[in-house]
Amino acid sequence: MKKIAIILISLLILNSGFKIDVDTNSKMKAIFIMNFTKLIEWPASYREGNFVVGVVGESPLYKELTKMAKTKKVANQSLEIQKFSSVQDIGKCHILFVSSEKSEDLSSVVSKVKPNSTLIITAKQGLVEKGAGINFIVKNNRQKFELNKQNVEKYKLKVSSNLEALAFTVK
Amino acid sequence: MNKKIYISLIVTILTSSVFGQFVGKDPLSISLYYMQKTEIDSAKKYIDIAVTDDALKSSAKTWYYRGYIYKDLYKQREKSNKVSPLRLISIESFKHMLTLDGKDEFKESTNKILKYEASTLYNDAARMLKIETHELAKENYELFRSTMLLIDPNSDFVARDVKFKLALASMLNRPSGTSQGLDSAQMVQVKSLYLEVIALDANNPGANYNLAILYYNEAADIINNMDYDMDIMKLNEVQDYCIEIFLEGLPYMKKAYELQYKRRETLVGLSNIYYGLNDMEKSNLYKKELEQLDSE
Repeated sequence: MKKIAIILISLLILNSGFKIDVDTNSKMKAIFIMNFTKLIEWPASYREGNFVVGVVGESPLYKELTKMAKTKKVANQSLEIQKFSSVQDIGKCHILFVSSEKSEDLSSVVSKVKPNSTLIITAKQGLVEKGAGINFIVKNNRQKFELNKQNVEKYKLKVSSNLEALAFTVK
Repeated sequence: MNKKIYISLIVTILTSSVFGQFVGKDPLSISLYYMQKTEIDSAKKYIDIAVTDDALKSSAKTWYYRGYIYKDLYKQREKSNKVSPLRLISIESFKHMLTLDGKDEFKESTNKILKYEASTLYNDAARMLKIETHELAKENYELFRSTMLLIDPNSDFVARDVKFKLALASMLNRPSGTSQGLDSAQMVQVKSLYLEVIALDANNPGANYNLAILYYNEAADIINNMDYDMDIMKLNEVQDYCIEIFLEGLPYMKKAYELQYKRRETLVGLSNIYYGLNDMEKSNLYKKELEQLDSE
């Protein structure tokens, strides 16, 4: 009888564990970004060499994008993920994700990338009015994105009508 | 003198021989005779005849002794057989006997034996809580329940049901502790077990906690397996589906938190679920509480 009690108790104390290695939020963002590479057209000079996605500031998205870059390409371009700790460090990239901690520096980011054809992506309310081309927002617990077509096109990027249709708001 | 000796010898042979013993006797009496002599196989043979005998099959005594003999057989031959047919025949015989025993003549003794048999069924059910034998464990547990109900129709099984279902769910849920994970059929099975436990005991902390994790892992798994090339339309569909799953798990984790179950783990749980729900404010709130707890 004692043995039976031990069997049951040993089973009862077993708890299942969380799959904490999955960053659900970043995975969604990475898929969105992969879609943006297909629904936005970069100038011809940007269609050779690596397709560079930069992340300025600390963000868990960097890790997820690095994971994505191991298996995915943008057309025939290899994906390259770069991390910039400050605005000054930002180099030429196709897409630049501005982390929340660097969102205060958005105007400096905009100035820095001005000569390039860079899609600026942010993830904080209101930034689509302050220079971001695309801003991730949360609506009813779902990740969505706002699009500021003007902020995208001023960098000589072409926005497909499909992207406009999929955006939560288009400005 | 010789004639006297001869006659007495004949009488002795006749009276002591099987033939002599059973002249005019019914199969039940013969079975009881063998039972007393601990010749169990013969006792079984005659009791099986007795239960088909028109004059004996409606007697409680016949069925009582059948249950008794099969119980002895079980103890002698099939004690280590967790799905012993002999034990089942014994229980079935007692069950039938109880329908015939209007005067409760055998009730006390029967209850004692049934209690013993029920305990062996329960123990065997617990011993069979393994992936490969869990269906049989469930069968044994159900037999344990039905046997206990023969003893007392008002038996209360809530505590035992909770314990057994939790143990079964934990055992089936084991793969989630590995990289393998549960397949969808296992997921449904484990989920329904935890839900059954919660239906019996809404404040069961383990069931609430584990069910919440199950929901979380289901959604996290789907997200983890999403292809980076998935188009936005499909992404939105999957997102809707996963959010619903996170939302389903949330109240159970909240309950576990309220019950102060595994404080650290439930804080991780709430933080993770809110993160999955893209509610960073709440996720960070529980994260901070966790940091506070860890610093204490």
